[in-house]
Amino acid sequence: MTGAGFEFFQQIINGLAVGAVYALIALGYTMVYGIIELINFAHGEIYMMGAYGGIIILAALMALGLPLGLALSFALLGTLLLTGLYGVATERLAYRPLRGASRLAPLISALGMSIFFQQYVLLSQGARDKIFPVELSSGGFSAGGVKVSYIQAAILLVATLLMVGLTLFVGKTRVGRAMRATAQDPVMASLSGVPVNGVIALTFFIGSSLAAVAGFMIAMYYGKVNYLVGYMAGLKAFVAAVLGGIGNIPGAMAGGLVLGVVESLAAGYIGGEYKDVVAFGILIAVLIVRPEGLLGTRLPEKV
Amino acid sequence: MDYLRRIAAIVAASLVIAGMSSCGPGRHVVRVAVIGPMTGEQAKQGKDMADGARLAVEEWNAKGGILGKRIELLVGDDAQDPKQANSLANKMWTMGVVLVVGHYNSSCTIPASEIYNLRHMVMITPASTNPKVTDRGYKTLFRVCGRDDQQGLVAAQYVVRFMPGAKVTVLHDKTTYGQGLADEFMANYEKLSAKKVVYYGAIVKEDQDYSAVLTSLKPLDPDLLYFGGLYPQAGLLVRQMRQLGLKAILMAGDGTYDPEFIRIAGANNAEGSLLTFMPDQEKIPGAQAVIASYRKRFGEVGPYSLYSYEAMNIGLSGIAKAGALDGLKAAAAIHSSSFETVFGPISFDAKGDVLDSPYVVWRVESGRLVQIPYK
Repeated sequence: MTGAGFEFFQQIINGLAVGAVYALIALGYTMVYGIIELINFAHGEIYMMGAYGGIIILAALMALGLPLGLALSFALLGTLLLTGLYGVATERLAYRPLRGASRLAPLISALGMSIFFQQYVLLSQGARDKIFPVELSSGGFSAGGVKVSYIQAAILLVATLLMVGLTLFVGKTRVGRAMRATAQDPVMASLSGVPVNGVIALTFFIGSSLAAVAGFMIAMYYGKVNYLVGYMAGLKAFVAAVLGGIGNIPGAMAGGLVLGVVESLAAGYIGGEYKDVVAFGILIAVLIVRPEGLLGTRLPEKV
Repeated sequence: MDYLRRIAAIVAASLVIAGMSSCGPGRHVVRVAVIGPMTGEQAKQGKDMADGARLAVEEWNAKGGILGKRIELLVGDDAQDPKQANSLANKMWTMGVVLVVGHYNSSCTIPASEIYNLRHMVMITPASTNPKVTDRGYKTLFRVCGRDDQQGLVAAQYVVRFMPGAKVTVLHDKTTYGQGLADEFMANYEKLSAKKVVYYGAIVKEDQDYSAVLTSLKPLDPDLLYFGGLYPQAGLLVRQMRQLGLKAILMAGDGTYDPEFIRIAGANNAEGSLLTFMPDQEKIPGAQAVIASYRKRFGEVGPYSLYSYEAMNIGLSGIAKAGALDGLKAAAAIHSSSFETVFGPISFDAKGDVLDSPYVVWRVESGRLVQIPYK
């Protein structure tokens, strides 16, 4: 393959791997927005805590002498559950008491939670980078000079499985129907016997677990995290959710992947410093030109 | 109401005055300071500096202090932020400090040193290597580490000698230190080899993902990537190069000298990486006694621990020789003498730099940094 062609495809692969992570985080934003119309600004921190949880559990399992594959799977599962519970606790403590208050109150509460989580991790884990405890292979699949590393392949595979699973769950199961009903009209849903509080808690649990998986995989990919990574990742995922149409689950997936690829191409062909310019330029353009996003439908007045 | 307000004003004013008077050093204390990044991602470097300075101060106090007084060490946290560095410099002046060991980042040292120069305070940096730190010719500024033009030259000499015909690329992190060092390397390399580097670019330090710029490098098939920057970014660069299938060797400067570099990159990925740093402290016979007492007191010796220790020793010797708490006199005393340090004798040129270039080349071998012979 020619140099230019190779470079283009490699940038797309790099972008898809990061985009899949954005998409997983964006799902949490969009599900929560879909159901209680709250932009959960603490969601980036949930992602960061998912990464920390995974690293801590993995280090403990490795110390116990578990084989690598088993330790990785259990660490992923452990951080998924733990971080899901953090999400549920956030909803219970910081958002539910404010339900029915003005729309600004839970938004500010979300910002407060975000700062709380950041400082909590800073104080309990320290300011230094947390390093992924095992060294994974840098190998991968090569075709015509384009390389997909094993870690990138794992990210794409896991993200695809989760997205398919989530789509089936929301679209085909009884609980998924309860979620959709709550999103459409919580009062009517509760009159029909849907346990609205339980459904909202479940939504937070699923959204936070997906963010935890994203955090764990990014820790695996970059080899380190620190207590500040949630901020920018959260903002980017928010852009992805808006790009896809906030409140729309397939939209968040598409938005994440598109954002990842566009960022990667911008960094490769314009310059690394323009990556964020392009990402947030997209946010502004979408809000002006097509506020309902790529896949969204126009809804009556929301924040 | 008006009466109450007046009383409140008087109370407030008296509190301010009381606060100010408690700021100045007591009659039986000499105040010195060590300033570096005590929090944030460089917190370890800050702690190493503080511990080194503390060891020196404890030794001086054990021998009876200085000018008949006890020495009190203040520790300042500039959080690698130039604004914070400036306000700390002013604060140290109001607290009567005459000697500052610091800062770590050149981007903090340069603005803060304007204040030290203005207030005639002696400043000795153990770690800031940007040439501009001393090139302004301030009388009370010194550094015990080397300069980026010296380490850029050593790196270029190494590459020209041991990797002839290599395709060389250069990246930096856009900081005062990183870009300065990358430029020094590039200028020296192009002069010595009479060849151009095939790529010169930058990364965004706050970013975690450099695969886009590395992908642009890949078609050039580089043999060497010279990086001006610090270890967290250097570690990520090596890791992402290997994931993209780039075989180029990374070479960097003293900011990458940290075991964390290898842990972030992964030991297999980092194997063969090169960097310039001062000589191996474990191999300096004169340093072993100090290293032993440092270990006993604080634990592992960091890359800048001993430089901070000697910076404090030199500063205090200057004050002792001047015989007065006077920054200008102490600086003159430092300029005119030679100091016996764990690194051997140190004396300063007119700008405040050490006379001999201290840099040697290190390589990652089996997951550890090892000083390698060259020249």
